[in-house]
Order: sequence, then C-alpha cells, then structure tokens
Amino acid sequence: MKNGISILLSRIATPTRVGPRDFIIVAVLAAIAFAVPYFAGTYQQEVGFRILQLGALAAAWNIAAGYTGLVSLGSAAFFGIGVYTMAIASNAGLPIALCVVLAAGVAGLFALIVSPALFRLRGLYFTVGTLALAEAMRIFVVNSPWFGGQAGIYLTARAPKAYDLYWIALLIAVFVVVCVLLLLRSRWSYRMQAVRDDEDVASQLGVRTYRTKLWAFGLSGALIAIVGSIQALNQGIVQPNGGFGMSWTIDIVSVAIIGGMGTKVGPWVGAVFIVLLGEFLIQFPEIHLAVVGVVLVLVIRFMPNGIWGTLTLALQKNRNFS
Amino acid sequence: MNSIDPVGLANTVLGGALLGGLIALSAVGLSLVLGVMKLVNLMHGQIVVLGAYAAFYLAAFWGISPLLALPIVFVLGFAFTAPVQHFILAPVAKHGEEAGLLTTFALAIILENLFIRFFSGDSRSLDTAFSRETLAIGPINLPTIYLIGFAISLTVCLAVWMLVTRTSFGRSLRASSEDPISAAIVGIHVSRVRWGTFALNGGLASMGGVLIALCFSFTPSSGSEYLLTAFAIIVLGGLGNIMGTFVGGIALGVIQSLGAYFFGDGYRTFVGLVMLIILLAIAPNGILKRRRSL
Repeated sequence: MKNGISILLSRIATPTRVGPRDFIIVAVLAAIAFAVPYFAGTYQQEVGFRILQLGALAAAWNIAAGYTGLVSLGSAAFFGIGVYTMAIASNAGLPIALCVVLAAGVAGLFALIVSPALFRLRGLYFTVGTLALAEAMRIFVVNSPWFGGQAGIYLTARAPKAYDLYWIALLIAVFVVVCVLLLLRSRWSYRMQAVRDDEDVASQLGVRTYRTKLWAFGLSGALIAIVGSIQALNQGIVQPNGGFGMSWTIDIVSVAIIGGMGTKVGPWVGAVFIVLLGEFLIQFPEIHLAVVGVVLVLVIRFMPNGIWGTLTLALQKNRNFS
Repeated sequence: MNSIDPVGLANTVLGGALLGGLIALSAVGLSLVLGVMKLVNLMHGQIVVLGAYAAFYLAAFWGISPLLALPIVFVLGFAFTAPVQHFILAPVAKHGEEAGLLTTFALAIILENLFIRFFSGDSRSLDTAFSRETLAIGPINLPTIYLIGFAISLTVCLAVWMLVTRTSFGRSLRASSEDPISAAIVGIHVSRVRWGTFALNGGLASMGGVLIALCFSFTPSSGSEYLLTAFAIIVLGGLGNIMGTFVGGIALGVIQSLGAYFFGDGYRTFVGLVMLIILLAIAPNGILKRRRSL
C-alpha cells in the first residue's frame, strides 16, 4: 500500500544504518538508567518504569506498524495474552523467567493462528480486523469460564518492590531495543520496508511477503506480550478490562505516532513525552486522555513524522544546505 | 441447553431480525463514508453514543420523547460532524489513508473521554411509554419498541437509498465515490460532496444511537462496540450498498441472537466479531453481491 505516511516515512527510515555506535549509545544509556534507583525515590522509579514500559511497547508495535506497514489496533490482544499467561503460569508454580518466555511463545503462536485471516486484509481493512480481534479476545475472556471472568485472577507470586520492577522493565526495554537494532541490521528490515512501501512490487521482486509479515507481526506481538507479563506482576491481579483494555492500544499508538513511526528513537521520545504529560496532568485524570487525543490530532496534521522524525528531517536539511 | 424449544427459538430469531434491522440505521452512514471518502471512520461509534446522549438529555430537560427527538438529533449530529470533516479530516487527507484513520482514532479518544468527563461513566437508558410493552403474535412475544425501531430504520434507509439513487446530490456522491478525479473534471465539487456525506453520516449515526439506546443501556465507552457492530453489518451487506446494509443488519441480528441463545447473552457481541473477522478474510466485499447501488 503506497500512501502519504509511508512515503514520508520511507525517506527517514530507509537510510537507517545501525552500526556499533548505536549499541554503544544504548549500553551507556542503559548503564545510566541502571543507576537511577540508587539516587532516586520510589516516585521517580515508578515514572521510570512507566516510560520504559510504554517505550518498549511502542518500539515493539513499531516493528509491525512503522517498518512493515501493518498498522495494528489489536495490540491489546497481545498485551492481554502476556498478562494472562503470566498470571496462569506463575500461579501454577512456574519460575517467573520461564513465565515471561512462555508469554512470548503464546503470543507468537496466537499471531501464527490469526495470520491466515488477518493477512488477507490489506491496509485499512487489516486495521479494522485487528481492532475486532482485540475486542473479541476481551469479550471471550470476560465470558469464558476459564479466566476468572470480570473478577480476574489474583497472582500468588510475591509482589516485587518498585526498584525490582524498574530493573526488570529496564532489562526488557534493553532487550526490545537490541531486538530492533539487530532486526534493522539484518536483511529482514529491507524485506519489511519493501512490503510496507508496496506489497505487490515486493512480491514481484521475490520477497516472501506472507512470511515477512508473519515474522514482523509475531515478533511485535511477542515483545508486547513480554511487557504485558511484567504488568501482571506489577498489578498483582489481572482483569479482562485491564489486560485486554483498549487503553493499552491507545497508549501504544499515541506514543509511537507522537514520537515518530518508523524511527528507532521515536517510540522512546514519545514515551517520555506521554508519561511526562500524564504526570503534568495528574490533577486532571479525566481530561488527560482527551489532551493526549488533541496532541495526536495536531501531530498527525502538522508533523506527520512525529517529534523525532521531524527533528531528523530538519537536521538533514540543514546539513544539505550548509 | 438440553432441548431446543421451538417457540423460544422463533422468538429469538424474529426478535434478532427486528433488532438487527433497527441497528442497521447506525451502519448506513459508515458505509457511505467508506465508499465516498475511502475513510475508515473510527469515531463512528462515538457519534452513535453522542446521539444517544443527545436524546437522553432532550428527554431529561425538556421532556421530549426520544422518538419525537429523532429529527432534532439528526440535525445535531449533522451540525456536529460537518465542521469535523471540514477543519480536521479534510486537511490531513493529503497525508494518506492512514493519517485520516488515525485522526478519527484520536477523535474517538477525545470524544469518549469528554463523555466520561461531562456525562459521568454511569450506564444510561432511554425510556418511552411503550418500552416495556410487547406485542403478541400467536405464541411469539416481540417488544413493541423493536417493531417501531425497525419501521423507522427501514423508512430512513429507504429515504437514504432514494437520496443516493434518485437525486443530483446522489449522482455527485456516486461519481465521487467511483472516481473522484474524473468527477472533479466534470464539475462536481468533490470536497463539498465529502463534507455532505460525512455530515449525513453524523446525522444518521446519531439517530441510530437513539434507536439502539431505546433497546439497550449505554455508557460513554459503548462506542467501540457500536463501531465494530456497524462494521460487521456493512461487511455482511456489501460496501456502499444501502439496502444491502439493511439486510446485513437483519442477518447480523439473527446471528447474534442465535449466539446469545445457544452460548449465553455475554457472547452476543463475540459471535458478531468472530463473524466479522471470518467474513473480512473470506469475502471482504460482502456476501450480498448483487447490483451495487453506489
């Protein structure tokens, strides 16, 4: 599907080169972030947790939406799978680390199962299909007898401390970043971007479009489920409207678009922006999401490449003129 | 469910058919917008909810019966959505399909949270004099409100069908949907047609919201459910096919009621969503492939 957004984005995303420098920057930033709990209070750790969580979610979503053109509004389905897998598996007595891996596996399997139906849909129809899928999952979990219904499931595992959670979130954020960077170094990223820019041409050029989309969608979903499994530990109770709720999709989409879809750094810029905006509006929780919506409308209209994309383009322009 | 009781089943099927026809009114506009503007309008559900709240407050403050309020709600919905298209959606159209889609997504978030802020999160419902009456046809009991809503929906759908097939606006609309560039060349004001279509959708969707609210209670967050139901209906009925949408609504109503009958009421929407996904995958252009009226 060729359209405005992807044409604009491909200008930025295609020349993305990932070298050793990127990994060094990530390592330095991670080391600084690692030290935060030693000098910051619980409140700062919670804000940091939220930034890492949303950044990781948006970066994972970006793999499918930004690089492969699979704009999904069904992220809540994968997030919820992560949340519920952690709850059920950890209550069954499995070690936490194994539960996280299991969450990723179940999400990948889910992507595999739904892909034959979803990938027949292109562009806007794919988006609607994913939205329907997430709602169907939520309603199924509410009504089916196996998942505790509306009341949800309590986790028997001991609730982690704020700094533990922060460090787990940091570990996962670094994992997501490394996944994205390695992906961008590999041939997959070229195939993905070819599928995004024009699926038919990519197919003519010998790209196995179905397999490419499945890998991108599955990886994206698995990473989202990993973050979801940590959210279950954080909450101590999992409920259908919390795990499969639209609010996660809304957060992910707004973070990725405001930061810049199809860029490496965009999701993290967006996460910092959205979390700080939320803290700024903490006195007005009822208008918080409405303000996020207004920002989203303005960003789509006036800076369709998001904060980071617009900055990068402006810098490139300056370099060319000087 | 050990034994299937035939009267109960007949009741379910007929009630579902009437209910589906009634809900079809909320889907007609979505199909027009998708056909003419190539826009997936994700704020559609919130417009439906807005119509329900408009009727609720008209009844609460001025005692206007929801059925008499329908024309007022249509005008309100029309007046509310016309500037949205003109000032917000039209300017982003140049950024591509996804920009429009995500803008309507953002608008849906804004509206839903404003509803929660101003109308509270409480569940509301609309009442009329005959809300609890039923009409007996032999052993079958049907709620009177379903019959009235079905009749209203059918009338309005016929009117929209006349508008699209028999008037000059309809001709411009069909031309803009078929090929906007050629339409513009022969002198059709395409952006005005889009504007009119989106506002017409706003009016129709809000009226649909009133009819739905007469049968079910609603909350500020009902929007996404209404959106997906409307989608299932237009996919069943075929894109841009107005009377097809009405028939699609009846079909969905029957399927949902059967789902609720066999699996329990909680699965009513689930059955519709699963059917939507399957239908999108196997027949994205609808199963009623008759003459396209658009």
